[in-house]
Amino acid sequence: MNAGRIALRIALGAAVPVAVLGVWHVASAHSVVVPSIGSVVEVLAHPFREPANLDATSLAGGAAASVLRVACGFALAVVTALPIGLLMGRCRPVMDLLSPAITAAMVVSPVAWMPVAIIAFGLSSPATVLHGQEAWRYGVLDQLRFAIVAVVWFGAFIPIAINTAAGARNVRESYIEAARALGASRGQLLRKVILPGAAPAIVTGLRLGGGIAWRVIIVAEIFPGTRGGLGYTITTAHEQAAYEYAFASIVVICGIGLLLDGVLRLAEARVARWRPKER
Amino acid sequence: MIRFEHVSKVFVTPARGEVPALADVSLTCPPEELTCVLGPSGCGKTTLLRLAAGLDAPTSGRVLVDGRAVSGPPADFGLVSQEGDLLPWRRVLSNVAMGLEIRGVRRAERKRRARQALARLHLPPEIARSHPHELSGGMRQRVALARALCPNPRVLLMDEPFSQLDELTRSRLQAELLVLWLADRQTVLFVTHSVEEAVFLADRVLVMTFGRITRSIPVTLPRPRNRLSEPFVECLLDIRRALAPQAPADVAAASRQDAPRPGEHPIAFHRGDRP
Repeated sequence: MNAGRIALRIALGAAVPVAVLGVWHVASAHSVVVPSIGSVVEVLAHPFREPANLDATSLAGGAAASVLRVACGFALAVVTALPIGLLMGRCRPVMDLLSPAITAAMVVSPVAWMPVAIIAFGLSSPATVLHGQEAWRYGVLDQLRFAIVAVVWFGAFIPIAINTAAGARNVRESYIEAARALGASRGQLLRKVILPGAAPAIVTGLRLGGGIAWRVIIVAEIFPGTRGGLGYTITTAHEQAAYEYAFASIVVICGIGLLLDGVLRLAEARVARWRPKER
Repeated sequence: MIRFEHVSKVFVTPARGEVPALADVSLTCPPEELTCVLGPSGCGKTTLLRLAAGLDAPTSGRVLVDGRAVSGPPADFGLVSQEGDLLPWRRVLSNVAMGLEIRGVRRAERKRRARQALARLHLPPEIARSHPHELSGGMRQRVALARALCPNPRVLLMDEPFSQLDELTRSRLQAELLVLWLADRQTVLFVTHSVEEAVFLADRVLVMTFGRITRSIPVTLPRPRNRLSEPFVECLLDIRRALAPQAPADVAAASRQDAPRPGEHPIAFHRGDRP
């Protein structure tokens, strides 16, 4: 690809964001509610400053709380969805047992389960379970409310389990038989054939699950009972009319989301390296 | 030694109900001999090989290896299939070393032996780090052969291993297989639909039609065999006649082989039907 075409593609890709900024600038000049671009940049430039006009943590603190929750929920989803997905893919009765329930759960937004999660877990967190912690540690652990982590787990669990199951089921029978003919045991088949054969599908599931987890956490944090997190910052900024914090939070959410997606895309490309290029 | 004693195999498929693939097959592959099973596609020869490999169990009868009934793939067998079925995510060397890896051989040792196996198949050492999809079909089959030979099996089972290759590559690989086999003398069960391949390779040709072994023809020509010599061609024609007993050397008869005739037992079995 030559330099001219690359420049054209960059210009085209930038056109819509630039237009949005333009509309925003004009709107903020004619309205007292819409924050100016400058005020949002000001917030973004000082991520550790506690907001004076807002009952919320600093931007960095909010992002850290959200990321921590997603990390825990996502990790839980990986360790539960991988074995269950593999079982579903390789064992017909398990598929028949779980597939209808998972399909039904899939079409409901994970955040809709938030009231159920709150009924189940209340306001409990690792901090309420482990007593006698120092104050700062209590602050961190209390951010990991079980209800919120459970909803993130659930949102990520479904695509990971479904993709793992599909990947495990679609491993070519002849690869499995080739390994069996070489004397592979069931465990060796799983480790040396089914897992690597399903790896591209699994990583796609991880990417989808990561994206859903990151989207879910922001909405879940809007529910009452949460303190901290970017979703909390957005609702509070809305209630207390400090809109520059809402806008700045959106920018941070976008940045972290893109970063997460980029990392998982890299992993996806790496795992699928052995595949012949599609022509 | 591989023995089939009155082995039958019936597949149950949703579309066609019970499909018999093998009907009362008895045969012996003598030790250190190269036995070819020859027949048209759908005659049950792949099923036969899968039973010998322990990948399927017979519906009735017994499959014996050295007098013991087969249950699951025996440890010292090597299998080469039509497509090779190399694991695409593994590099060539680790594909070849896989049999040793499964047996728990140490990494350095299995790499050394895998390199030896590659060299025996005249594969350049630099392809060890390639992925299978980067190789030509002929090279892939060589790698598959290297993978099967690497753990030093006593028995080699081959399911039309060269049928996907072009004519020239095929005859070269046949010749190389013979050289390797003459050095190692494994017991070989080789399934093919090519009469020429069978006559070139085999000590004995078992002709198979509609799930039965219909003829057992010893091939006594001295090796190396010249495909253009008169005895070779004679033997070839003999076997062609055995394949189409009603109308020898008749193209129409050959085409009739493919489909079961009306009123005849529909024993033909195709890959896609396997449950």
